Amino acid sequence: MKVLITGGVSGLGAALARACTARGDTVHSLDIVPGPGIHAHDMAGTDAAAWAALGEWLAAQGPFDLVLLSAGISATGRFETTPLADHHKVTAANLSGPTRLVHLLDSGDHLRPGARLVFIASLSCFTGYPGAASYAASKDGLAGLARSLRAPMRKRGVRVQLVCPGPMDTPHATRYAPEGSSAKGRMPPDKAARAILRSRGFVILPGAGAKLAALAGRITPQTMTRLMGKVLFSKLK
Amino acid sequence: MTWFVTGASSGLGLEMVRLLVARGEAVCASGRRGVDDLPANFPDIPYRRCDLSDRVAVASLADWVTRQGPLHAAVLNAGAGYFRPLAQETPDAMARVLAINLDANIALAHRLHPVLSGGRLGLIGSVAHNGAAGMPVYAASKAALGGFGRALAEEWRGRVTVRVLHPGPVATGMAERAGRTPDFADRLFLPPRQTAAALLDALDAPRGADRQTVSFLRVGLHRLRKGAA
Repeated sequence: MKVLITGGVSGLGAALARACTARGDTVHSLDIVPGPGIHAHDMAGTDAAAWAALGEWLAAQGPFDLVLLSAGISATGRFETTPLADHHKVTAANLSGPTRLVHLLDSGDHLRPGARLVFIASLSCFTGYPGAASYAASKDGLAGLARSLRAPMRKRGVRVQLVCPGPMDTPHATRYAPEGSSAKGRMPPDKAARAILRSRGFVILPGAGAKLAALAGRITPQTMTRLMGKVLFSKLK
Repeated sequence: MTWFVTGASSGLGLEMVRLLVARGEAVCASGRRGVDDLPANFPDIPYRRCDLSDRVAVASLADWVTRQGPLHAAVLNAGAGYFRPLAQETPDAMARVLAINLDANIALAHRLHPVLSGGRLGLIGSVAHNGAAGMPVYAASKAALGGFGRALAEEWRGRVTVRVLHPGPVATGMAERAGRTPDFADRLFLPPRQTAAALLDALDAPRGADRQTVSFLRVGLHRLRKGAA
C-alpha cells in the first residue's frame, strides 16, 4: 500500500508514518523540514515552481492508497495582539495549502480507486477554540472541504475521512498550550495514529475524551465554547 | 456611530446599505466595483473600491474605515466563489476565494478592533458552511469563517459583539455568476432585500446566539413580524 503523509517528520504525522511502516506500507512523506526520503515542501508557500515540483513528485510516487493530511501549525494568544502575519500563515499552512494539495491529487489522478483521503482537523471543530481563532478557522475550513468532497469522491471510490483529535502529547501541543499546563490527559500520538488507521467512519474522534467533548459540543455548542474560553483562553492572557 | 459594510456594490451588501441609509444611519462601504460602475440605486455614502484579495488594499481600506470614526457595526459581507468541482478549480481561483472570504475578514477584524470597541462585528457566512458538493472551496471558506467567528465571539465577549450569520440561498445572481445553471430551484431562493433586513436585525438584536442561520424560516418569520407591525 502506498501512503502519502504531510507533516510526517514530527508529532501525529510521524506516528502515522511509524504505524504504516510497521504494517509494511510504503510511506512517502512531505514536510517543511527536509530529511532522508522526505520531499521538502512549505504548505504555506505560494511559489508556483515549488507546487509544480510537488506535482511532479506526486506523479512519480503515486498513485496513493492512503493520504493523511497531518501537517499543521497554530498561533495561540489573544487574536488582536497576535501579529496578523501569523494568522495569515496559519490559514495558509492549514487550509490553503492542503486545499491546493488535494486539488493536485484530484486533478492529477493521484488517488487510486479504493483509496482513503484523511483530513486531520481538530476537536475545535466541535468545541470552538477561543485563543486560536485563525487555527480554529483553518480546521473548520478543512472540515468544510472534507464534508463537500465526501460525496463526489465516493462516486470515484475514494473514501474521505475527517479526524478531529483532542490535545495530543506532541511538539505541536507543547508549543501552543498555555504556559505551565500539564501534559497529563494528552493522548499519545501513536495511540491516535492506530485509532485513525483502523477507523472506517467519516468523522474520527480518537479516544473517549475527544468523543465526549465532541458530543457535548454538538448538544450545547455555545456552552462548550465558553468552557473552552474559561479553561484555555483565560490562561493565555 | 457609523456602520461599515463590505461587498456593498451588489447583492446583499447593496440591499444592506440601502436599508441602513433609509433608516437614517451613517454608513460607509466598500465593494469590488469602481465608483462609476455602482448601480443607479446606490445611496450617497462614503464608498471605496477594494479588491479584498489584495492584502495591501485591505490594509488601506481598514485605515480609511478607521478615519470614519468609531463604528456601531462592521458587516463583513463580501464573498466570492465558483460553482464547480474541485478538479476544475485553478490554484489562483482557489487562493482568491479563500483570500476574500476568509483572510480579508481576519485582517479587517484585526485592524478594525480598536474602532469596534463596544460595537458589533457581523460575519456573513453561508448555509454552504456545512459542506456543499457543488462548491467545495467556497464551502470550506465559509466553514472557516464560521470557526473564526465562533472563537472570536468568545474572545471578545463583553467588548465587541461578534456574530456569524449564515444566509442563503439568496437570489442575488451570485449563483449564476459562480457558474451554476439556473433551474427550478432558483424560484425558491430568498429575496435579497428581506434577507438583508433579517441579517441586519439578527446582528443588531440585543440578545442572540453567536452563530445563526438566516434562511427560509428566519427570513419568513422576519417578514411576518414586519408585515404585522
